[in-house]
Amino acid sequence: MTARDDIFAALPRAAGTAPHAEAAALLARVPALRPARVGPDQVASFLERLTGPVIAATATRLATRAEIPAAVRAYLAANTLGPQIALQPTQALQTLDWSGLTPHPTIAVDEPVSVCEADYAVAETASLVFRSSPHMPTLFAFLPLHHIVVLEAARIVPWLEDAAALEAARPAPRNLNFVTGASGTTDIEGTLVRGAHGPAHLHVLLIGGQMPAPAPQPANVP
Amino acid sequence: MTAAFTARVSAALTDPTLKTAIERTTGNARAKRAAAVAAWPSFEAARDLGRDIKDHVTQNLAFYLAAFERNALASGAQIHWARTADEACDIVVRLCRQAGATSVTRAKSMLGEEIGLPHALEAAGIARVETDLAEHIVQLAGDRPSHIVWPALHKTREQVREMFACLHHEPGGLDSVEAMVASARRELRQKFMRADVGISGANFLVADTGAICTVTNEGNAELTTTPPRVHIVTAGIEKLVPSTAHAMSLLRLLVRSATGAELTQYTTFHCGPKRADDADGPREFHIVLVDNGRTRMLTEGLEDMLRCLRCGACLNHCVVYRQIGGHAYGGTYPGPMGAVLTPVLDGLPTAQDLPRACTLNGLCAEVCPVKIPLPTLIKGWRNKSWRLGLEPRAVTLALRLWRFAATRPALYRLGTRLALPVLRLFARSGWARALPFASGWTGQRDFPAPARQSFLDQIKERRHDRA
Repeated sequence: MTARDDIFAALPRAAGTAPHAEAAALLARVPALRPARVGPDQVASFLERLTGPVIAATATRLATRAEIPAAVRAYLAANTLGPQIALQPTQALQTLDWSGLTPHPTIAVDEPVSVCEADYAVAETASLVFRSSPHMPTLFAFLPLHHIVVLEAARIVPWLEDAAALEAARPAPRNLNFVTGASGTTDIEGTLVRGAHGPAHLHVLLIGGQMPAPAPQPANVP
Repeated sequence: MTAAFTARVSAALTDPTLKTAIERTTGNARAKRAAAVAAWPSFEAARDLGRDIKDHVTQNLAFYLAAFERNALASGAQIHWARTADEACDIVVRLCRQAGATSVTRAKSMLGEEIGLPHALEAAGIARVETDLAEHIVQLAGDRPSHIVWPALHKTREQVREMFACLHHEPGGLDSVEAMVASARRELRQKFMRADVGISGANFLVADTGAICTVTNEGNAELTTTPPRVHIVTAGIEKLVPSTAHAMSLLRLLVRSATGAELTQYTTFHCGPKRADDADGPREFHIVLVDNGRTRMLTEGLEDMLRCLRCGACLNHCVVYRQIGGHAYGGTYPGPMGAVLTPVLDGLPTAQDLPRACTLNGLCAEVCPVKIPLPTLIKGWRNKSWRLGLEPRAVTLALRLWRFAATRPALYRLGTRLALPVLRLFARSGWARALPFASGWTGQRDFPAPARQSFLDQIKERRHDRA
């Protein structure tokens, strides 16, 4: 008997029919008991969680993709970082006007900054989702000190189950990464420190969606 | 209690810093979990669902195990089966040798600890680099993990600073926890990239995709599993879930119960080796599926324990764990879940003290995200211990004496009436600092002086007053 045979022999006999109906019935209970985390405006819910005290990432809203390089330059200047950026090798990002910066399509072990685009995001947890591919090296999300992420507002889904449904409809990548904030550790006396092994800073460039209304002007008092 | 356990408990109780260290981390964890639970009105219903998902898997384990195997093989993964801890370690060591590995990185995995993988790798002469910060601390100290989520919780920042200053290549200032974390980052950076093999565990095995899921906050799992040529996973067969969607429901419970966050910073589903054109990822992906007592638990009335998500909430809330810490338990798993699991893994004669080191206050069952009836399972081990004649003679005699008195109310009342004033003789301002035959208690803490009258006498007096 192989180890496999022995383990299966020790398990109760599998039922004649596959337990799909029961598995589906379990999932049918989910919508009624999810944490009430997503309001009618998914983009607002996502941003609130992303930049809230727990995840503590930063974000800039942009109207169009053409504004991405300027927003990256502004971030680098604000954090006194050099012009080198590891730029994810996708056509959509590589063809933008990066003048003033020196982008490269690979990533080094001590890379200061990487810029890459999330496939989509989940409003419930403010998670950014990356799918490994020829154009998305997994390490772009783990090696840099500053991780700048481009996200289209239209690509925000409300719940984790929506992410699961998106994935069920296409072939699985080698790595499906849900990134929820910068790397952190509480391993020394429970004290939270950012930048354990992965990025210490996470900055999101959110493209499109309904832009926030300008701050209301004080009404003229007659 | 066995002498070895007594010695470990005494060492823990007399350790001058241990209790402070435990309280700093578990106190923080309890507060954050409580806040996360308070913010989720349907938490109770979600726990029921978590329990039902895991029970559904346990009841259909053969089906989901076969489905996982089929889908993982289709993704290009290689599947290995291990009945025991030794078989699992042998498989991992053989895979490392086949890969010509001189250095392996490892992301924290409780299953890896359970099967003794760190020791097996060392015995095989394979350099092991622990990448989780706490496991790195534990490895440098030549120590053992003392908590399933915070393995180095027993170390104070001063102890960590001293060790990093001696053992890191570029320790820098180390004047803050931030500086210590930065030093560990520098120390491990190149090692991630140079490893030949990366080893991880799995929080979930997803049956309908063949993917395995890891959760970390540091990002060390992905840095362990992406650069090397070979990624090896060791996982218990109970980690199955039907689909990614089912994993999501359990992730909500797991992470809130462990750290109070809504999701860990990095939640990753690893499916197969790197695709032909992928920019990075391992060329080989091996999954070692480990039984090590799990199928036996199904037939020995311990199937509820197979729901365990390894969140650590029962440890953080346990009044015994909070006093003695993880090392005193002597096994891989401490606290309430360890008191149930260690007798399975090490045998009841070896682990007989653990089910006894419990007050049965029920807090563990109250916080368990998948409603494991831990006190009931602990009592089950006590019953078995009694049946096997493992209970110490003094305990059985004392219990017989107590039963003799308790079934004779008049005698019992007389006994308590005589005992109370005697006990009070030893107390000063409400507390007894030492008691005959009770040094096990008073050695570490005072004993409260009993009331002047027994409970029954007080009731009788009140009734009399009212009348």
